[in-house]
Amino acid sequence: MRRFLPRGYLFTVLGIAVGVAGLVALGAMAERISRFIEGGDRFVLGQISVAGEGMGMGAGFTAGGLLRAAKIAEIARVPGVAAAQPQVMLPLKTTTSQFLTLTQELVLGTDMSVPMVNRNYRELPVRAGRFLQAGDRGVAVLGTDFAAARKLGVGGRLEVAGLSWRIVGVLDKTLTAPDRFAMVTIEDARDLWLRRDPLLVQLFGAAGLGRGDLNSGAAVAWQPGEDPDAVARRIQESVPGVNVTIPGEVSRLLKESTAFFSALLLGIGALGLVIGGLSLSNTVTAAVFERIRDFGIKRALGATDLHLLREVLGEALGVSLAGGAAGVAIALGIGWLVDLRILRDGQQVFLFSPRLLLFALVFSVVLGALAAAYATLRIAHLSPADAIRRGT
Amino acid sequence: MLVRARGLAKSYRGAAGHLVAVLQAVDLDAAAGEFVAVVGASGSGKTTLLNLLGLLEPPDAGEIWFDDVRVSHLSRRAQARVRGTRIGYVFQSFLLVSGLTAIDNVLLAARYVGRDRATALREAMLLMERLGVADRRDHYPAQLSGGEQQRVAYCRAVLNAPPLVLADEPTGSLDDAHARVILGELRGLVRERGTSVILVTHRAEAAAEADRALRLDGGRLEPHDDSITDIRRLR
Repeated sequence: MRRFLPRGYLFTVLGIAVGVAGLVALGAMAERISRFIEGGDRFVLGQISVAGEGMGMGAGFTAGGLLRAAKIAEIARVPGVAAAQPQVMLPLKTTTSQFLTLTQELVLGTDMSVPMVNRNYRELPVRAGRFLQAGDRGVAVLGTDFAAARKLGVGGRLEVAGLSWRIVGVLDKTLTAPDRFAMVTIEDARDLWLRRDPLLVQLFGAAGLGRGDLNSGAAVAWQPGEDPDAVARRIQESVPGVNVTIPGEVSRLLKESTAFFSALLLGIGALGLVIGGLSLSNTVTAAVFERIRDFGIKRALGATDLHLLREVLGEALGVSLAGGAAGVAIALGIGWLVDLRILRDGQQVFLFSPRLLLFALVFSVVLGALAAAYATLRIAHLSPADAIRRGT
Repeated sequence: MLVRARGLAKSYRGAAGHLVAVLQAVDLDAAAGEFVAVVGASGSGKTTLLNLLGLLEPPDAGEIWFDDVRVSHLSRRAQARVRGTRIGYVFQSFLLVSGLTAIDNVLLAARYVGRDRATALREAMLLMERLGVADRRDHYPAQLSGGEQQRVAYCRAVLNAPPLVLADEPTGSLDDAHARVILGELRGLVRERGTSVILVTHRAEAAAEADRALRLDGGRLEPHDDSITDIRRLR
């Protein structure tokens, strides 16, 4: 071990570890936000979302009024449409229903007699239990953060507005919106909607409404080879009284609205690289300069520039790797502790992806080696006597 | 002649920015198996002279020959080879590498000249036993006394059996007993191995070990007759 991590390098390793920990922690936050935005983008590009005309803000991804069954049938007949799946999307907490936030918890009711239409989310990965099936009633599948925040698991029960659903499955982490969903069948979601909004009950009959009309929107799939934006515009033109989201436009709008986050991510990443990089290179360079006297002694004993460069690079490799690994461990520990606390509210702040951890290790080793080589070359021109004098 | 230096000159830039000539046209010869002492006041340039002879820094002018090879103009790599194989250094401040144990410090001399580690280790242990520091082999320099550090440094200097040993005030930081041990070892090198030793010192008893003493004064080297007389009288 001493060969790879020479004595007196403890503080160097710690210095590198602090820099790398900062880099990894900032990177993990950036990864987390990035994955969330990517997930949203994939979702909107995977289906055409349609809602009824009007203002029904806060009902999830679709914004609009009721989308009656007849309208859904009309949509399904539009050329290029492959399927239209009725959905009910309700905010879990009605007090926040007017705010469609990135972290909103939703109850999503889907018609399981129609296959999932989102091309990018044909199936949501289930970590425990099973997904919803056609004909299910009184059961729910929870997103991982939704379940973790309430300490719920398969076999438990979810109580919402006096309704009780048995939990039959918990989804794997998707790191995007479904992590905060409670998914039920559309009939169960309609029950919840009626219980929450008694006015709807009064509208039954009077407005000719039936339970099948209680849809907050529909997810529409297009036929293979069709341009989804063209199909969405076709629906817009041929079905009056609906709000249609054009996937390409929504994706663009999403990107525009998350431009701030993207810039923030870039800033965080750059900051992490600068802080971590400076800390690491400064620490390694200082460690080499501190040993200038040792280099003088070694050159007096016959070491060539190549000997010293090889020696320093070998040590820098060991020290940077040890510092990098320690930094990763520190960041993982901090992330775990923070997420443990935050997860109670169903949130996750850090995403330590393998690519991030690998990058941090490679970054620390490469930068450490470059800094060591730079420092060695800076002092290589000194005569042995000069090096001994300066280091004494 | 083992070592021949001609016209060595060296100047340093002083605090005020102007050059201070430390050595001026210094000539020095040392035959194989000869013990030469260089005496002089503090700041007279003794260490600089030793640094030039040991190829630890380049002279501003002059040439150094080693076994009829002009080593002062060799490449950095070739000079490193000469330092590793032909010259041993004993410094006043020991100059041990603080992050290495005593035995690793001694073995450092063998590392850069491509010697077999097992053989070098055997020889290093014999040397350390003879100098009475074998039991301190795994101690770091900070855990050794001054006398022990100098003995370890001495072991390092002679591990490769160099034909020339340069000793810069090797007894300067030692008490009399330890100083006698080091001086006795240097004398023994000359007598038993035929090694040439060039010793710079300001201690008369150290210079008294030499076959010949030279005085460095005003940047110039000249015979130190008083000292030689003293040495002869002491013997």
